[in-house]
This record gives sequence, C-alpha cells and structure tokens, in this order.
Amino acid sequence: MFENTVDNYAHHNNLKGANIYFKVLFAILTMFMSLISTSPIIPIIIAVLMSFLIIFKAKIPWKFYLKFLTIPFIFGFLTFIFMAFFFGFGTPLWELNIFSLTVTIDGFNLGFLVFSRIMGGFTCMAFLSLTTPMTELFSVLETFKIPKIVLEIAMMMYRYIFVFLGEGINMYHAQQTRLGYHSFKSSYKSMGILASNLFIRTWIKGENAYLAMESRCYNGSLHINNYQNKIGTKNLFILFSFEALLLAGVYLSGNFTLI
Amino acid sequence: MHIMEGFLPWQWCLFWYMVAIPVVAYGVIQIKKITNEHPESKPLLAVSGAFVFVLSSLKLPSVTGSCSHPTGNGLGAVLFGPAVASVLGAIVLVFQALLLAHGGLTTLGANIFSMGIVGPLAAWLIYKGVIRVGWSSSMGIFLAAVAGNWLTYVTTATQLSLAFPLPTFGEAFVKFMLIFAYTQIPLAIAEGLLTVVIFDYILKLRPDILEKLKVITPQDKNLEEAV
Repeated sequence: MFENTVDNYAHHNNLKGANIYFKVLFAILTMFMSLISTSPIIPIIIAVLMSFLIIFKAKIPWKFYLKFLTIPFIFGFLTFIFMAFFFGFGTPLWELNIFSLTVTIDGFNLGFLVFSRIMGGFTCMAFLSLTTPMTELFSVLETFKIPKIVLEIAMMMYRYIFVFLGEGINMYHAQQTRLGYHSFKSSYKSMGILASNLFIRTWIKGENAYLAMESRCYNGSLHINNYQNKIGTKNLFILFSFEALLLAGVYLSGNFTLI
Repeated sequence: MHIMEGFLPWQWCLFWYMVAIPVVAYGVIQIKKITNEHPESKPLLAVSGAFVFVLSSLKLPSVTGSCSHPTGNGLGAVLFGPAVASVLGAIVLVFQALLLAHGGLTTLGANIFSMGIVGPLAAWLIYKGVIRVGWSSSMGIFLAAVAGNWLTYVTTATQLSLAFPLPTFGEAFVKFMLIFAYTQIPLAIAEGLLTVVIFDYILKLRPDILEKLKVITPQDKNLEEAV
C-alpha cells in the first residue's frame, strides 16, 4: 500500500539520525517563507531545493517521490487554470472563442502564485513526512505543550491505521473474489458490510488492546523514548542564514510577476 | 475537500487556527473527562479515529463517474458527539496531510474548522433533531451524513472566497459553489446511503456498542428487533 511506503521511508532514509527539532524547525520555517512570499520566485526556489534535499540528501528514490508529488501537482495545476480563467478582471491575455472565456493577466499571475505556493509548501511537508517517523514527531509536539492525552490517542491511532488498512484490504479482496463489486448496487452493499465490520472489529480490537495493556501495568500513560543527537552550532548557523536569505529574497522579489 | 497546503494567504491561515483551536481545546477537555471516568475508553477513541481515517481512504463509486471517498464525519459525530469528533478529526487531518498528501499543515486550522467542526456539529444537531421528531434512526443518520457533507463544502467555499474575494466575496462564493456542486450533490447523497448501510449493520450485529455510546436507547433496540 501507498501509505505503508511513506512510513517505510520515514524510518529508512539518510536523514533519519538528524536531530528531529532541527528538521522540524527547518521544514516549518521554510514553509512559512513560502507562505508569506508575494511572488512565485521564492516558493519555486524552495520547491526545487527541497526536492533536491529529499532525493539526494535523504536518498528517497526519485520515482517514489515523484509519485508522491502527483496529487498536489495535479491539484495545483487545476487551481492555476481555474484561477487564470475566472479570477482576473484586468487586460485579457488570451481569448478563447468558445463560451467567451478569457485568460487575464492578473488572473494568470494569481493562479501561478498560488500554484507555486502549493508546490513550495508541499515539498516542505513532504520533507517532514519522508524523513521523520511519526512517533518522533509526537515527541516534538509534546514539548509544544500539546496535551498528553491527545498524543497518546494519536499514537495508538497511528498504529491501528496500519492494522485496519491491512485488514480492510484483505476483506476487500475477499469480497472482490466473490463478485462483491460487480455492479453498482452490490458495490454499495459490499462497501457497507466492509465498513461496518471494520468498525466492529475495531471496537473489539480496542477492548482487547486495553485489556492487554492493563495486564501489563498500563496506568493511563505511555512513555516515549526521546533520545536525540545534538544539533550543533554550525548547523544552526547554516539554518538561520538560509532562512534569512529566503526572507531577503521574499522582500526583494516582492512585486515580481511572471508576465 | 481539503484545502491544499499553501493555498490560503498566511493571514487566513492564522485566522482559522484561532477559530479552530478553542473548539478543539474544548473537545480535549471533554476527552479528558471521559477518559478519567472510563480509562478503557482511551484505546477505543484511538481505534475509532483510525476507523475514520481508513473509511476516508476507501474509494466509493459515485454517480458522476469519478471516485471519491466518504468523509466519515457524519458517522463520527453521531457516534461520539461533536466535541470528541472535532479532536479525532483534527488528528486524522494531520495524518492525512503527512501520509496521503491531502490537505496541509498551514491550512490545518481551516480544514479543522470545515471538516472537524462545522460538518460534525451540523450532522449531530440534525441527527438529534430527527430523533426528537420521531423519525427512524436510519433516516436521521442519512440526513445527518448528507447535511454534514454539504455544510463542510459550503464552509470550504466560504473560506476560499474569503481568501480570494475577486472581485467581490459574493461572486467568488458563487463560482466556488458551482464548481463544488457538480460533484458534491451526488457525492453527499452517496455518502448518506453508505452511512445508512454501515449504521444498520452495526445496529444489527452489535447494538450494545451503540447503546454504550448513547446513540440509541434500549427502546430503539426493541423497536429494531420487532421490525
């Protein structure tokens, strides 16, 4: 499954040993720079740099990474087209002679800006999700004073997602071999049976998990192993000068537009 | 529909975070209360959240020919109440952003508001209303799921047109709504039907779970058995 592999790469990549706070700080700050930029230049630079880091530094196979990028890319591209056609009221750039549709300059610029921001922000998020295991992210959230109960539920949820995906896929295949999805009506019925059974199984699993945990002295809290490598002054210096450079870029390229 | 990472200007990201955080915080307080009273409910909440996630990753055949997925927020809200559903929804949205590339971190606040707060709240209110009027719980769950889905989209369209009010808020709103309407009117009905099927099966196989969650009263169960 697709989700499995994201998780897999998060555990097996070249940046796994790097300090988690450093990675989170880097990704979030860069994402923020991409967000506040008013020209498409900085987000695109960020997108290229991040992709470079993900493929060459974290050594994520490029084929997998490109596949991961297709959803946001298609979505961003559709947004771009939609905005170019419907969100401009300035000088027309290109007139389509059917339905009196026109692409205007300001619509085109706005669409391209949003598209580049989506790609910039998304690559930062991809960096985070491909280089850091989810459980380590939770330990970062703990230092941000997110209530412990939320993190615990989230952590258990994360574990169960994979259990149920596996179970759901098995059930789906079993139904498929019995022609459960051969017509529209039977698809609905099968899907309903699958989902409700999954819920009931989930419930039983939850009760059993609680019993198992309680018999092993569960008193209402889980402990996370939170050992981290040192960040190092040099790395911090590089990080902040990089972000300062981006900020300067955002300021300087403020009024730039593609056309 | 999730708002994609980087889609909203930063001012709006901040604004929706401010709106969403108090509600989620209230939900967290509720969860704390529940888990203090019944410690065994903690793993149950976790598995239910996982269930919502898995449900939202199942593909659903829809009339328009495209494939979409149920949001599961109607079912979650009816089962657990809107406050708890908002916390579970928030966690699920983080996972969807990081694992499936749906939604994003900066737009998380806006997504929580539309999918974790408005949708479930509407679904829950409608379910309670329908039950009070005295219609069957299947009808209630159908209307709740449909309304939850539609209101989620209306909220998303509102958020998008507030962020891009070109030329005015009203015109942008009409544009976004028109685009969503083509896919969402049939999709919401499809989700409603599917939710009814799921709910009926749970009611048939394990009515005790629903009773424990106070979704149905013992009286309903007897009615169901009589039918």
